[in-house]
Parts: sequence; structure tokens; C-alpha cells
Amino acid sequence: MFNREEPSRLLPNFRFMRVLILSAAVGILLVACQRDDISTGKDTYALNRPDYFPEIAYPVATNPITRAGFELGKKLFNDPRLSLDNSIACSNCHVKAVAFTDPQHNPSVGIFEQSGSRNAPMIANMAFQSEFLWNGGVSHLDFVPVFAIENEKEMGETLADVIRKLNRTDDYPPLFKKAFPKIDTITSPYMLKALSQYMLLLVSDNSKYDQSVRGELQLTAEEAAGLDIFNRKCANCHSGALFTNHDFLNNGLDSVFEDEGRALISETDDDLGKFKVPSLRNVTLTAPYMHDGRFKTLQQVLDHYRSGVKDAPTLAPELKKDGQLGIALTDDEVEKLILFLETLTDYDFVSNPVF
Amino acid sequence: MKKVLFALIAFSIAFSISSCKKDDPAETGPGAIDIEFDNIAVVNGIQRQLSLVTPGSTDYTYQNGMGQDFNINLLRYYISGIKLEGPNGELFEDHVHVDVSGTEGIYLVDESDLSTGVINLENVPAGQYNKITFTVGVDEDGVQEGAAGGVLDPATCHMFWNWNSGYIAVKFEGQSPVSNGGTSGGETVDGTSPNGIVYHVGGWRDMPGTAFVKNNKTLTFDFDTNARVQKGLQPRVHMVFDVLSLFKGQNMIDFTGNHNVHKPTDGQPVAENIPAAFAFDHVHQ
Ligand code: HEC
Ligand code: HEC
Repeated sequence: MFNREEPSRLLPNFRFMRVLILSAAVGILLVACQRDDISTGKDTYALNRPDYFPEIAYPVATNPITRAGFELGKKLFNDPRLSLDNSIACSNCHVKAVAFTDPQHNPSVGIFEQSGSRNAPMIANMAFQSEFLWNGGVSHLDFVPVFAIENEKEMGETLADVIRKLNRTDDYPPLFKKAFPKIDTITSPYMLKALSQYMLLLVSDNSKYDQSVRGELQLTAEEAAGLDIFNRKCANCHSGALFTNHDFLNNGLDSVFEDEGRALISETDDDLGKFKVPSLRNVTLTAPYMHDGRFKTLQQVLDHYRSGVKDAPTLAPELKKDGQLGIALTDDEVEKLILFLETLTDYDFVSNPVF
Repeated sequence: MKKVLFALIAFSIAFSISSCKKDDPAETGPGAIDIEFDNIAVVNGIQRQLSLVTPGSTDYTYQNGMGQDFNINLLRYYISGIKLEGPNGELFEDHVHVDVSGTEGIYLVDESDLSTGVINLENVPAGQYNKITFTVGVDEDGVQEGAAGGVLDPATCHMFWNWNSGYIAVKFEGQSPVSNGGTSGGETVDGTSPNGIVYHVGGWRDMPGTAFVKNNKTLTFDFDTNARVQKGLQPRVHMVFDVLSLFKGQNMIDFTGNHNVHKPTDGQPVAENIPAAFAFDHVHQ
């Protein structure tokens, strides 16, 4: 239904074809010139999907990524002027050194030191996901910042005021013009597209685990044993290259739910206490853990799965097999699992100066 | 006198016959058509112009199906995906295109700016049209495009839900003396307004058994006369929207209870009244 073209416009004449071929050739040349990262042959400002990753979920054709757009998004992400009292930027709660999560606050603290109820999730590999927030309330990456900015516990600002502020600055109008040459004044969709361009390129795919998948190195025997345990005990939920099946599940944190999770938006009791299965990439860096940041260490997380799982009607059946609550794990298995989880840390990602 | 009249008639018949024979590009070329959405209040079977009051006013002109008084501060809704059809296979589908620089084919009708109620469609193939289809609300394709400009700009449209991303289809705000207030998230009434009524009706996806309900409505109406479109003509199709019917019909809406609506499920009873609230009125050739 969208982007329908008149049939006549779909029948180009030959001269038009020649122009098309010529401009495609010029385009290729231009793209070739843009490649900065000669060592890997990858274009730094293109979205590259490792072949073992899920398909790209974001409609990139609607928001072609450019260096100027990415850099504008990065500047916005780090700018406290996006908040009501100019005190807090996206990057305050999504800190690069810890894979764009929030290491300090438990849970994340927004403007006026108001305490939000939820823990800031990692921002990495967003391009491959289509449901955002712990409860999946937002279904397009472009719209997540609207939630962040307008949520009084996060940035407490209205989008219209942020746009007004940006138009009044000296620095932003020319940067928007550079990223989006067609525009005269800054409007919210352009700001949101720029933020998305930045977040889309935050791809984490160079952990030790990735290198082993690509055959560049081998995991140690203990790490490999940990992977094996993981595949047997954790991978039905934390599955695939992103270590999430993208489902909303109750992993047994509570029997009475202070935060109803998915049920807050689906309004069905079947979803009480269910939260998005998080990716486990960079998990050694992303403490505290769970939607409310209740666990400080991976040891505590595994102790939860071993002996802390609480029953509830919505508890995932995997966590109550044969009437037994939790996942049976020996101390030795826990140790190996943690060694494996450490191979998911992507040090290149968190130290990449481009990000 | 009679002779003059006869001559005039003969002349005009001759003229129209000759003009029919010619393959005149003025008749085969595409033309324009206006679709007018006129928001009204039907009181005792009589159509009346809708009147908005300033927020806080205690002048109550209207009643819902339960006889509860109310007034209206704000009324705004999206119309999208307009399609026109005719008896000889005529078909016009308004091009819908959503992107960052602007939005085409989706219209925001706002009672506080009557010019927004007239939708001008250009490049409509010549022919007769006697049927219209349109959607009240913005469907999945419009949402999944992501951030968009024009009437969908989330900073300026005041029709975007950030916590459950999607666009409100119909936004209504007003006051009723039977409401006990305490509303939230309104533009014209807030928690301190003693008698606010707030109906933000939306929802673009259906997930059975959950609160994801699609409240957008796609409606079709037949015209009693054909609208003739050709180059140089600009007929107008006059549609009416009886705002009072939002609160009666299939579901009676009680302002003492469900009067602070912001979620798809809460809005569903009002949404189900939408189809009967719209009607075709006339074609103005
Ligand atoms: C006060 C801390 C805070 C600030 C500031 C903040 N966020 Fe967040 N962010 C969070 C929390 C908490 C969540 C999870 C919220 C939820 O699930 O309800 C989140 C979720 C997200 C997500 C979804 C990730 C996922 O996997 O679902 C993205 C993307 C995101 N934020 C981007 C941003 C951007 C862009 C900004 C700046 C405009 C920003 N955040 C500002 C705390 C913050
Ligand atoms: C039944 C599905 C399921 C199984 C099986 C499962 N998890 Fe989880 N896991 C979840 C869900 C859901 C969450 C998020 C819960 C929340 O925050 O409320 C989670 C959260 C986590 C977190 C916190 C991540 C973060 O960033 O906050 C870690 C670490 C984790 N799981 C590791 C494991 C390990 C290791 C195993 C195997 C021993 C495992 N999980 C088995 C569903 C599962």
C-alpha cells in the first residue's frame, strides 16, 4: 500500500536506464571513497550484518545511514540539552564503557534524581530487533527516544521543546543541514532518524565468542564446556547469535509483581511478570542485572536460576520441569558457565572511538 | 419569450451533443475532487454545526445516549487510505507515502481549524464516482515507517502515544457535569479540572486475548448521486461525522465511569461507535 508508484513510472526508457547505470557507477565510486577502515575492508558508516546474525529488522531504506547522520546522532545522544533541566543525556544512562548500560544507578536515575523503576538495557545490535523496552511497548527504534525524552522519570522534556531548543542553538542547524540537505528547520523526525542512525551502527560482533564462530580462534576447553552447558540449560530462551529468542517470559524473579511487565501493555494476566529476554552479549559489563537491576553479579544471577526461582502461574515451564523449580547446576557448571559468558564481552565494541 | 427559451434549449442540446462527440482532452484528463469532513451534532434528528467551547466552560449543549450533558473542547482525528470507486470500474487510490520529510495520503482533521476538514485530491482519473472508502486512524504501515514528518510529526501532531508507540485515531476532550474529573494526559483538561472527559481512542494492531486491539476503522459509503470528475471540474463529496454518536449507538458511553481513556482496550467501546457516527451526506457537483 505504501510507496506505490504509478505503473508508467516503472517503465524507464533507455536514456533513463543509461543515466541510472552511470549514476550507479558514480555511486559505487563514492561509496568506495568513503571506506575508512582499510584493514577490515568494512565501511565504517554502513550497517554490516554478520552472516550468523538475524536479519536486519530496521527498515534501513527509509533512513539511509551516512557519516554526517551518524555523527549528528552521536552528538545528540551525548547532549544533556535533550533533557528538561539540561542535566542528563542519553549517555548518562547508556554508558559506552559498559556496553551502553547504566553501571551506577540501581535502578536508573533520571532528572531531579527521580528513581525510575527499570534498569537501562544495553544498546547494541538494535538493528536486529523489532520490539523495545523491557515490556516491548515500542515497536520501532525511531520511537524509543520519544519515550525516553517524554518520560518524566527519564528526561522529563517534551519533544516539541527539545526541537525548539535545537533550532535555537548555533551548532545544530548546520549539522542537520549537512546530514539531511533537504531541510530548512529542524523537526522531530529528523532528530529521531539521526539518533537511530547512531544506534543502528552500534553493532557488537567481535567478542571472543564471535571470533570462535568465525573460526578465527578456539575457545578454551573450559569455555567450550561452559558453552555446552549453556546450550543445554539456557539456550531455549537466550538463543541464537544475539542470545535472545525475543520473547517475553517470566524467569521466576517474583511471585507477587511490583512491576507487571508485559502485562502493563498487553493487559492480560497471562503476561504478569513477563519481561523481554535480554541479550547476553557483553553481559560481564552490564551489571546490575534484570529489569530492576536486582542482582549485582553473575554469580547471583546463577544462584537465582539454581535456587531462587519463585513459582507463579506465568513462570516459564522450562523453569519448573517435573515440578522442580529452577535449573539444576553444580558449582563446577556455574564456574564454567561464567567462563563462557565472559567470552561474550566485545572489548572492541566498548573501546571503538567511532562510537 | 417562449421562442428565446426554445432557442436556448436547442442551442444547449446541440452544444452538449457536439461536445460529447469530440474527443476533448478536457473530459478524459484527470481532475480533482474534494472530500469534506464536516463535524456535526445531530440533535433531535437535525444536523447542527458543532460548537467547541473554551476549556473550563460549563455551558453544556450536548447530551450522550444516557442523557448526560457534556461539551467539547477538542476534536481531532486521522483519515487515511482514501479510495474512490465508480460504476464503470473507475478506481482512485490516494497515494499514501510516509517519510521523514512529510506525509502524503494521511490527513489530520482538527475541528479548531475548519480548513483541515477539506481534503483535496488531485490527479483523479476522469469518470463517475459513487463510492468512498477510508480509514479513521493510521494503520500499521504508517507506524512501522518510523518517525515521520508532516501530520505525523510526533512533536507537533499531539496524536502520538510514546509508551505504546502508535497514533491516536480520534482524540476528544471536553467536560461533563457528571464526570468526577481526575483525568490525565489531556491537552485541554487535566487532573485539576473537576469535570473533564478525555477519550484518546487508538490502537493499530490486533493480538487476540490481549490489550492490543485495533481501533482504527475502515469505512465504505455509497453516494446517492455520482460525482463526475474531469479536467476543469472539482466536485465535492460532503461527509458528516456526528460527534454525539461516538457516545451512543452500539455502546452507551457513561461519563461517570470510563471517562479517562488512553489505552486501546478502554477506547474500544467508543471505537465501535465510530462506523455509525460517519455518514455520506451529498455530492456537490
Ligand atoms: C534516566 C536514564 C535514561 C536516559 C536518560 C535514557 N534512557 Fe534509554 N533506557 C533507560 C531505561 C530504564 C530503559 C528501559 C525502560 C523500560 O524498559 O521501561 C531504556 C531503554 C532504552 C532503549 C531500548 C533498548 C531495548 O533493548 O529495548 C533504547 C534504544 C534507549 N533506551 C535509548 C535511549 C536514548 C536514545 C536516550 C536519549 C534520548 C535514552 N535512552 C535516555 C534509561 C534511560
Ligand atoms: C525460561 C527462559 C529463560 C531461561 C531458561 C534462562 N533465562 Fe536468563 N533471562 C530470562 C528472562 C526473561 C530474563 C529477564 C528477566 C527480567 O529482567 O525480569 C533473563 C535474564 C538473564 C540475565 C540478566 C541479563 C541482564 O542484562 O540483565 C542473565 C545474565 C541470564 N538471564 C542468564 C541466564 C543463564 C546463564 C541461563 C541458564 C542457566 C538462563 N539465563 C536461563 C529468561 C531465561
